[in-house]
Amino acid sequence: MAANAPPMTATDSLSQAVKANIIHNQEYLLQGSVLDSAVEVLLHRLRGLCDNVDAGPETFDDQEVCFILRDPNQQALPSMLRVRKALDARDMPYQLRYIGQADGEKNRPTVLRSVLDIACSGMLFEFLNELGCRIEYEYSVKGYMFRKGRMKITVAKVFKIPQSSMAPEPISQSYLVELSVLAPTGQDAIGEDMRAFADQLRPLVQLDKIDYKRLSHMAVT
Amino acid sequence: MANSVNISVEAPIENQIQEITYDGQEIYQAPLSMSENLARLAQKIDFTKSDDEFCNIKKEGESSLDIKSEDDKEPGYQSSLWPWDSVRNKLRNALTEVCVLADVLSIAKEKRYMVLDPIQADQVESRPMVQVYGRKKALSAAGAVLLNGVERLRASETMRMTRNMPDFHIDLLRLRQNWRLKKVSNTIVGDLSYRTAGSKFSQTGVFEVTKAPEEQIAQAMSMNATGPAPSALRVTVPPELQGVAFISVLCQKEQEDVVTATLSSSALNCPGTLPGEGAELHWQQKLEAAQNVLFCKELFARLAAEAVQLDASIPHMVVGNQIMATVLPGIQLLIGLCHNNGQNNNNPEGVKSEGSGNKSEHDHVLEHSLHQLLRAVHHSNTHHPFPHPASGPLGPSKRRSLAGPMASDRYELLEMSKEQSLLEQIIQQAQHFFMRRRSEYVLDTIAKEVKDPLIVSHWNALNSPTQSCVKINIMAYGYDAVCRTSLVVHVGEKTLKCICRDGKVRHLSYELQELRDLIYCQIYQHQMTAVQAVGRCMGWQLLASSSHLGSGPVEPLGNASSCLLASPNGDRMIAIRCEPSVGIQVFIAQSPRKDFFVSELVQDKKWENLGGAFKEVKLEKMEGKNFLNKMELLMACLSSPL
Repeated sequence: MAANAPPMTATDSLSQAVKANIIHNQEYLLQGSVLDSAVEVLLHRLRGLCDNVDAGPETFDDQEVCFILRDPNQQALPSMLRVRKALDARDMPYQLRYIGQADGEKNRPTVLRSVLDIACSGMLFEFLNELGCRIEYEYSVKGYMFRKGRMKITVAKVFKIPQSSMAPEPISQSYLVELSVLAPTGQDAIGEDMRAFADQLRPLVQLDKIDYKRLSHMAVT
Repeated sequence: MANSVNISVEAPIENQIQEITYDGQEIYQAPLSMSENLARLAQKIDFTKSDDEFCNIKKEGESSLDIKSEDDKEPGYQSSLWPWDSVRNKLRNALTEVCVLADVLSIAKEKRYMVLDPIQADQVESRPMVQVYGRKKALSAAGAVLLNGVERLRASETMRMTRNMPDFHIDLLRLRQNWRLKKVSNTIVGDLSYRTAGSKFSQTGVFEVTKAPEEQIAQAMSMNATGPAPSALRVTVPPELQGVAFISVLCQKEQEDVVTATLSSSALNCPGTLPGEGAELHWQQKLEAAQNVLFCKELFARLAAEAVQLDASIPHMVVGNQIMATVLPGIQLLIGLCHNNGQNNNNPEGVKSEGSGNKSEHDHVLEHSLHQLLRAVHHSNTHHPFPHPASGPLGPSKRRSLAGPMASDRYELLEMSKEQSLLEQIIQQAQHFFMRRRSEYVLDTIAKEVKDPLIVSHWNALNSPTQSCVKINIMAYGYDAVCRTSLVVHVGEKTLKCICRDGKVRHLSYELQELRDLIYCQIYQHQMTAVQAVGRCMGWQLLASSSHLGSGPVEPLGNASSCLLASPNGDRMIAIRCEPSVGIQVFIAQSPRKDFFVSELVQDKKWENLGGAFKEVKLEKMEGKNFLNKMELLMACLSSPL
């Protein structure tokens, strides 16, 4: 080791890693939904198509809290941070997620957005409060997870968090289906593979790009 | 480049020539003005036409001619007529018609002067018989086609039944139920590798399926009339996967000469060929054997690569089809790949005599362990852990994902990425196997040799490939309720851990002698504590005891221990000295002394109560089943007032 070399700071190594395209900071996403009555058939099909048929579908039960950080001078757009914790695996760390704007290119088969996932310890809530983030909303998600190679498929139901210790109430009679891949920049070929896989699920569920701008313009009740 | 010629470009004449005067001047028909053009187009509209376009075009053509002819005529008669006249007339006629229709409908609605009655349409004459005949004919034609097909199938089926040949398609279906097949252009190929189970071996296991020639089937059937019918398929496996293979694992004492080690090992003597080698094997057995060969090759290749890469204190050697690793000093582990291709050219002459002996030594348990280890590697290649919560990245294990929040340092991360290789794991298992065998041997020999306290060892039924546990109880026959010494020995890979009842933990190495010495020390300690316990039962008082006696000659093993017991009424004393290498010595003394004589120095009679000298007891001449029994009898004898 060179004794006189200056020590590498964390930001230096992080920027080097980003330049070397080893950090998975892009997410390719396709979403769809399926009614409660039809979800069993979809789960069977996914079980057959995805890896590891012998191990049953992996269940998960998560709770997500969305924080919003507003600029006091109202100059910059408020940024949203999501904190997700696993209710069925309490010893796993919390995941702090930042989701960027979706790339609006029409020719892309999937939604592409930049995403940063960081595992954090339990002091996260205090830290975010100290930073100035305020809770905007929270919900819980419960469902099944599958994988095929690099692709992750989740079929989950979104619930409202109840005030007291009542059972969580679902917000709709359907399941949300998501097909996502986390990849570093420049791996666009995975979008085609995702589209091909989504076509195999076609009659049961239609996985498509969602136009988030249109959704955000709709009235929020 | 001659003189240039002027070229004038003119547009062709658009307007028709009406008249050419005598002086050559052309008079053009003036182009129609806008209103004249519109009038011309309006006259083309015919309000009596239908919507049919085709008719429109034709009729338009006709009517335009008609209209033009009329037009040509009319200027002759009534050139002063307004050009929209025909349009107006047609519209007026249309209005008239519509008004009449409206009037008729209103009158009919009133139902006083006019009523609308429906008229029955003419019944189409139905001719059912014709229909029936028509359908019958059509159905019989379809039926004839189907019957034709059935006849053909039936013919081929009866042909098959009479000749009793196996069916290719049924066999192919059976094959497909067990193996993965694919059709590539004209051939059917299959894959018998472990690739989908997680193997990353580069050798492919592609086999081909063909139809077995009929003569061969007939021949096989005629030869083997009573057995099962031969199959109609023939399966061709690649030549390097043919035959039978297995991994032989052998633990033996280290050979002086490396060459003899290789020759005398069973690696070259491959027993076991497939039954019925000469005849055509059933495809299932063939494919299973080939798959096993591929698995063994992968296993051996992996072990050989690890043997070369690993940095052990005594380097491993890879010679041909064999890997030699040193497990413990003096013990060698030989792993070999035995592949019998069916050619029987692997047995040099000198080996045959030792071959049969070596065959029995081949360790099936370790071979099975190797298979399990490779399957565990395959399993971990495919079954990656899922992220919890679900939004996390796919891939990192639980420890890796905790490494960030728990602030693991570089060293911990490097440790996390290291994993034990297959060779290291199997060496550990072999080491443990040896340690366990040695410990068993030591305990059994001691139990055979030492009869006085009984040595009882209980081995745990549940253990792992690298750790076992044994509980040793030392007790005397008849006195197990009085005193029992127990200790637990954990047998690891290269070390033993002994935990005694007093809480002391001792770590022993792989040498047999250490365990033996320890057990002997424990035996004599047991004797000492047991005698004290018996004394308590008998009412004798413990005056002194010492477990590490400093007096007497230096002990080769352990320390001498002693105790001093006094009888209930105090007139007798027993002194016991216990030495692990010599044995136990018992001395008794009594007070008042029998041999007290008044002398010049000591004049008072009372000094006889000080107690006499100790005299040794010949334990071997005493009655009693064991030492404790003898001590009990001795104490009983000394206790009684005499």
